[in-house]
Amino acid sequence: MNRVALLLPLAWRNLWRNPRRTVITLAVVAVGMWSILIFDVLFAAVETSSRDQALRVMTGEGQIHASRYMDDPNVAYSFVPGTAMLAVLNSPQVSSWAARVRVPAILQSEYETRPVTLAGASPEQERKISVLPSSLAAGRYLAGDDDSGIVIGRDLLKRLKTRLGKRVVLMTQASDGHLAQSGFVIIGVYGSTTPVEDEFVFTGRHAAQELLGMGNRISEISFDANAGTRLDTLVAALRTAALANDAHQDNTTHGQPSGAHPSLVIEPWTQFSPIAAAIENVSSTYTAVWLAVMFVLMAIGIVNTQLMAVFERTREFGLLMALGMRPGTVILQVAIESALLVAIGVVLGVAATASTLAPFGDGIDLNFVASGVDRYGLGRILYPKLDPSTAVVPGMIVWALGIAATLWPARRAARTAPVIAMTQF
Amino acid sequence: MGNIISCRGVEKIYRQGTVDVSALRGIDLDIDASDFATLSGPSGSGKTTLLSLIGGLDRPSKGEITVAGENIARLSKDALADLRLHKIGFVFQSYSLVPVLSAIENVEFILRLLEMPSAARHARAREVLSEVGLAGLENRRPSKLSGGQQQRVAVARALGPRPALVLADEPTANLDSKNAEDLIQLMAKLNETSGITFLIATHDPRVMVHARRHIELIDGRIVSDDRTQASAAA
Repeated sequence: MNRVALLLPLAWRNLWRNPRRTVITLAVVAVGMWSILIFDVLFAAVETSSRDQALRVMTGEGQIHASRYMDDPNVAYSFVPGTAMLAVLNSPQVSSWAARVRVPAILQSEYETRPVTLAGASPEQERKISVLPSSLAAGRYLAGDDDSGIVIGRDLLKRLKTRLGKRVVLMTQASDGHLAQSGFVIIGVYGSTTPVEDEFVFTGRHAAQELLGMGNRISEISFDANAGTRLDTLVAALRTAALANDAHQDNTTHGQPSGAHPSLVIEPWTQFSPIAAAIENVSSTYTAVWLAVMFVLMAIGIVNTQLMAVFERTREFGLLMALGMRPGTVILQVAIESALLVAIGVVLGVAATASTLAPFGDGIDLNFVASGVDRYGLGRILYPKLDPSTAVVPGMIVWALGIAATLWPARRAARTAPVIAMTQF
Repeated sequence: MGNIISCRGVEKIYRQGTVDVSALRGIDLDIDASDFATLSGPSGSGKTTLLSLIGGLDRPSKGEITVAGENIARLSKDALADLRLHKIGFVFQSYSLVPVLSAIENVEFILRLLEMPSAARHARAREVLSEVGLAGLENRRPSKLSGGQQQRVAVARALGPRPALVLADEPTANLDSKNAEDLIQLMAKLNETSGITFLIATHDPRVMVHARRHIELIDGRIVSDDRTQASAAA
């Protein structure tokens, strides 16, 4: 017998025996679901913004460095990617990659001197992995690897008290240990978060390599995994390629013997952008905690309501069992009522969330707290988005736990002997 | 004619606080199939308790009860529910209908538990409602029916599965004279035409007039068990 088909119409009518109580329970579930989803969506937007800010500036989803570079980003710790490495980077596993020279430097205008990081970039590669080449506030980006102009951040331009087209002097340590310095014309000014604007200056990769006397060596490679490729799988493939390179040729850091330990370090973005990774972790944890708190509140409401509903109808359940309904069917009936009630509440909560987010289709503009969001490495516009998966998972959890919460009163009703249920309730 | 009910040494003891109260004290009783019998006695004599035990709504403290060949003490809760569903119809003192279901849905609900096909179920529900004089009122909910009509729906629901036995507990207690008389006539007629066994707990003399057997209980014991001429004639 399809007991669900038998009980469904009865359960639906029973829900509306006490409309006020049903409406209150629906409100509890819907508001709970709404709050879970709103927080989930907002945190996801913050997480995405933070990650985009962190990864789309220069980081990429992963990076390759010489083994000591992260401790001392010195020109000495550079490398030439081997053929095995290039084969992986040019495989379908990788959507884009960019090789750079990246060293600490001093930038000097007529009035001010600031510490910066010089990035020798290949504009064509850089455009695919970083938003900075397309975030120009003035001037132009680098025209090619040989471009000897310099692109600096908007805030740095202000701090140096200089302007587009003016000349600045950049000083850094060359690969032979001597001071290298050269004059650059400011050809472009980019906009980003203040810390990024203050830190990075860009020139053509060949121009930087020439200034530093490092031949065709580079400081780092940033890469993005292709959609459908797991980042950890790609990182593992690159590590294998790095070991293969070590075994066949000495392409390692200056003065470091090949084969002593892996010459290259390949790490995912979580290692390079710990704040973005922390936000992602905090977001997931917070969402889980919030889900738990809201569920407990909802469960109290649901159990309370169902307890009252079951208690009021104990006599009726006794009657149904007296007429031949099995105790298990009584439990099923209560569970179906709860399933219907919670499902409607969940749908209402999702609909309320969608309605709340609808006015923010173009994003939530945080420019009014620009300095704050810059400090925390967020974009100035958050894009909250309610994906089906965002709604389905918590919705299913709330629904399943909502049913589970009613099993106790249902079991209690079913365990009461019919004669007791009919005479003492 | 065989027995449909057989009770041997049935006792029922309720515990009230620290005191044990005996509701039934050694009942020995056989009811023939197709009989029309009443259980009478003052309030607290054990009528409803005996009816509940025979119907498997509760279990005896001692003794054995066999209904339609099944020793109900040995049955699980589910098996007891199945026995009630297939063999026993109940009519209670209060009308005991599911308030959110219409008259025909109340009757059909039990037939659905029996997995009767839709068309047959619907036809049977209409048939029994017509038999109890409720043709045309099938779609009314209990709140839109009088007390007498509700009790007729309860009788129709009990008869829907064509049970071997109907247990009725004070079925006329909440009815006015006319409705009570109509209901008694109806049950007597169904007993005669369908051969369904009726065991009715009552102290309503109008019911007793129609019964072929009168069993009287006092303080949990059977004090008299009389068969009328009508019974003898039958």
